[in-house]
Amino acid sequence: MKKVITGNQAVAYGVILSRVDVISAYPITPQTTIVEELSELVASGRSKTIFLKVESEHSAMAALIGASTGGVRCFTATSSHGLAYMHEMLHWASGARLPIVLVNVNRAIGPPWNIWSDQSDSLSQRDTGWIQLYCENNQEVLDTVLQAYRIAESVKLPVMVVLDAYVLSHTSEAVEIPAMEEVDQFLPPFCPEYLIDTQEPRAFSTIATPESFLEFRYKTQEAMEQVPEVARRVEGEFRSRFGRGYGAIERYGKDGAEILLMTSGTVTSTSRIVIQKLIGNEYSVAGIKIKRFRPFPFEEIREAIQGAKKLVVIDRNLSAGVGGIFAQELRASLYSREERPQVFGFISGLGGRDITPELIEEAVQYAVEHDRPEEEILWLGLKK
Amino acid sequence: MTEQIVFKGVSDMPTISISFGNMDWNKTGAWRSQRPFYEDKTPPCSAACPVGNDIVAFIQKITEGDLEGSWNVIKEENPFPGVCGRVCFHPCEAKCNRGNYDEAIAIHALERFVADLASNLNEKIEKGSGAKKGKIAIVGSGPAGLSCAYHLARLQYDVTVFESSSSAGGMLRMGIPSYRLPRDVLDQEISRIVALGVEIRTGIAFGKKLSLDGLRDYQAIFIASGAHQSRSLQIPGEKGKDVLSGLGLLRKINLAKKGKLDNRIAIIGGGNTAVDVARSIIRMGKKATILYRRSKEEMPAFEDEIAEAIEEGVKIRYLVNPIRIQQKDSLKRLECLRMELGEKDETGRRRPVLVPNSNFFIEADSVAIAAGEEIEVSFLPKGVERKEGIVLTRRDGSTGIKGIFAGGDLTSTQRTVAHAIGSGKKAALAIDCYLKGKDSEEAIREILIGDGPSLSTFRYLHPEERKMNPHVVAFEELNTDYFEPSKRQKESKGLVKKRIRGFEEVTSTLTEECAVKEAERCFSCGTCNECENCYVFCPDTSVIKTGEMFSHQVDYDFCKGCGICLSECPRGAISFKEEAR
Repeated sequence: MKKVITGNQAVAYGVILSRVDVISAYPITPQTTIVEELSELVASGRSKTIFLKVESEHSAMAALIGASTGGVRCFTATSSHGLAYMHEMLHWASGARLPIVLVNVNRAIGPPWNIWSDQSDSLSQRDTGWIQLYCENNQEVLDTVLQAYRIAESVKLPVMVVLDAYVLSHTSEAVEIPAMEEVDQFLPPFCPEYLIDTQEPRAFSTIATPESFLEFRYKTQEAMEQVPEVARRVEGEFRSRFGRGYGAIERYGKDGAEILLMTSGTVTSTSRIVIQKLIGNEYSVAGIKIKRFRPFPFEEIREAIQGAKKLVVIDRNLSAGVGGIFAQELRASLYSREERPQVFGFISGLGGRDITPELIEEAVQYAVEHDRPEEEILWLGLKK
Repeated sequence: MTEQIVFKGVSDMPTISISFGNMDWNKTGAWRSQRPFYEDKTPPCSAACPVGNDIVAFIQKITEGDLEGSWNVIKEENPFPGVCGRVCFHPCEAKCNRGNYDEAIAIHALERFVADLASNLNEKIEKGSGAKKGKIAIVGSGPAGLSCAYHLARLQYDVTVFESSSSAGGMLRMGIPSYRLPRDVLDQEISRIVALGVEIRTGIAFGKKLSLDGLRDYQAIFIASGAHQSRSLQIPGEKGKDVLSGLGLLRKINLAKKGKLDNRIAIIGGGNTAVDVARSIIRMGKKATILYRRSKEEMPAFEDEIAEAIEEGVKIRYLVNPIRIQQKDSLKRLECLRMELGEKDETGRRRPVLVPNSNFFIEADSVAIAAGEEIEVSFLPKGVERKEGIVLTRRDGSTGIKGIFAGGDLTSTQRTVAHAIGSGKKAALAIDCYLKGKDSEEAIREILIGDGPSLSTFRYLHPEERKMNPHVVAFEELNTDYFEPSKRQKESKGLVKKRIRGFEEVTSTLTEECAVKEAERCFSCGTCNECENCYVFCPDTSVIKTGEMFSHQVDYDFCKGCGICLSECPRGAISFKEEAR
């Protein structure tokens, strides 16, 4: 069944279809309508999910850590400052290996006060041990939520599904809603390895001395390393059942192109138009959409960039003092290679400013005209 | 599992840090620098009780529904719970920590409840068996004398009490009207003492015919002859006809409940005797006016008594000082001066000062003087020292003459029933020490409740049991988070209309339901009552319950000395000390 729904509604559909047992969340713009939708469903009795009202995002995640340890499927959603407030508990969820799914609606972090989209909130949490998946459209949002539970419960790591504020969260698109029975077959009930059981009492997240802490972190990394394979398998199943798939990355445009435009989130949709136009103008360009940021898709990227001379990266985020975070990760992934294309790291669209086709074209044009970037950080659309 | 599991590495480790055995192998007690331990401390009520009642213990028994146990706790210290529950001025309640929270526990009402219940069940006090240890004579069968007799009899002494009046009880019978202390209550408590083998010889007055020398056969003597002489006002006319002593009038009414009284009677004085006289007069259908030279705030009579007296129609005129009593026809004319309050005197009360030329007259049919009582000393042997109107004793009640002890109103200016009972108890224990050749001062120090002066007979008899730190638990030491505010249970009082028609008791005993409710309000200061907060809060499950009552122990193998038990104990029954390592 196709419905015209916003990105936030797509999240809510995904949650209901995943038969989530416990939701705990605290409202924050632009995430609010997700939990609004869900709480109404719970309040009306149409959903049997337990909705825990809490006084903060920190508590929301703490509550889910408890619930998930109890062996049930959990969900929360947040944005920006809310995600930042959750930070400590994000570490706890991944360290305790709890397959919680969190939807973050990308929003800038103040000050200055700002409620519009950029990626600085979710990318600030890159080292918390969460899988991060960035979405391009509302269909992908719904589909990613469903896949997130399969991946999370398989590798025992939490997953953060990310969508842009307003451009997706509050914009309606036609979305195919899968049937419940179909989803049930794709996503079996959650069966944890360990859970709170009064018949078999255990202490959870006990102390690990220096004798074993390193090994526990090794195991987390090991799980992260399983993700590419697990995600491929899950997506394969998803594609054969629902006919849609996204990949850790997606390459589009000209084969063997010299210049690759690398984006994440909704900028990719705009980039697709620009790439098409530039190919029409005889440019040797192609685009790469990066969906999975954690674990970083080294292999997929290294394969996709073979033959390229220049990588144009548009970062809708800033790690002040360094530059764009995607650009940094890309540079890091290339260092050990013989063949290392130039990385042009552009910063653009912070705090929700539109990244227009003209700006994207300007970025590609810069790469065409320069052998290498003149600056570590290239500012796109900066009013000087 | 009592051993630590050691993993080889990643291959045999679980995914997450999770327990597979228990932590018994990890003796966290080694981390401790402070050691918590259960230690009962002194509740402020007991420390304030002149009798030395173990108040928290008897209230605890009520909450457990063990009313006989409660009675057993009380009778250990006090032969007169029925009397005290009615007439004691209950200094225990003034010190009750609950008073700082909402309202003090109605301790007197609970004591009375248990005493009356025991009376109804005709509970007896077990008479010890075995040979008598020695003969003791007691002069005076008031609360001091009989308390001494009671404790000595329980210590297996052969006790004889000499009473000048025709019946035993002293001031309890002569001075306290029966609407406050019904005679059957008094009679029953005295009969229990007699049942222990105490002989009370009435109608034997020392002094006139009989001297104390006649008691040579006795190994020790306790003199508690009381203070029965009305103090003189030293004003003209006080020796006249129809000028009565307050105490004399009371004695007459108490013994006979009848007699001819004039219609309007003026009572001079502001103490309990004055109020008792006035209320008794009202009950005889006459009019009573109390004349007191200070104001209501300074009045030494108990506040409740004053309030009840006013309810019943007693008139009180404050700041009035009679200076002359004149006879005018059949009337008494009291010439009075008005007073005003000046500087505070040595008792902390404001001194009344005469207002010059304020003379005025009050008329009455007769006058009763109740301006305090004095002791009778004529029969006392030389060597028993006196000073400022009382007989001097050492801390253990002994006098200047070996083997002669004294107590009660004779030796104290704090002339209350409770102080008298307490002094009788102290003398009994001191006499026991004296006859056994023990140091009584030291024995008394060992059994002081708090810093004293009251004593614990229980601890005298069982020195190893129920040890208690003398530290008196202050309100600030309680964790009141665990208490809910609640109303004090009130004893019901008879209607004034009915009350003044006779000598029926004014207040009634609490019902069992109310008594239990009131007992449950007790904070149990310093005494564990198994609320189990320590057990619940201990993060190391190091509070061990053995199943027996009051037997909580700390598992020092695992207790880290965090102190949570201490801070969550609502009643300060856990202490800390530095760990000696």
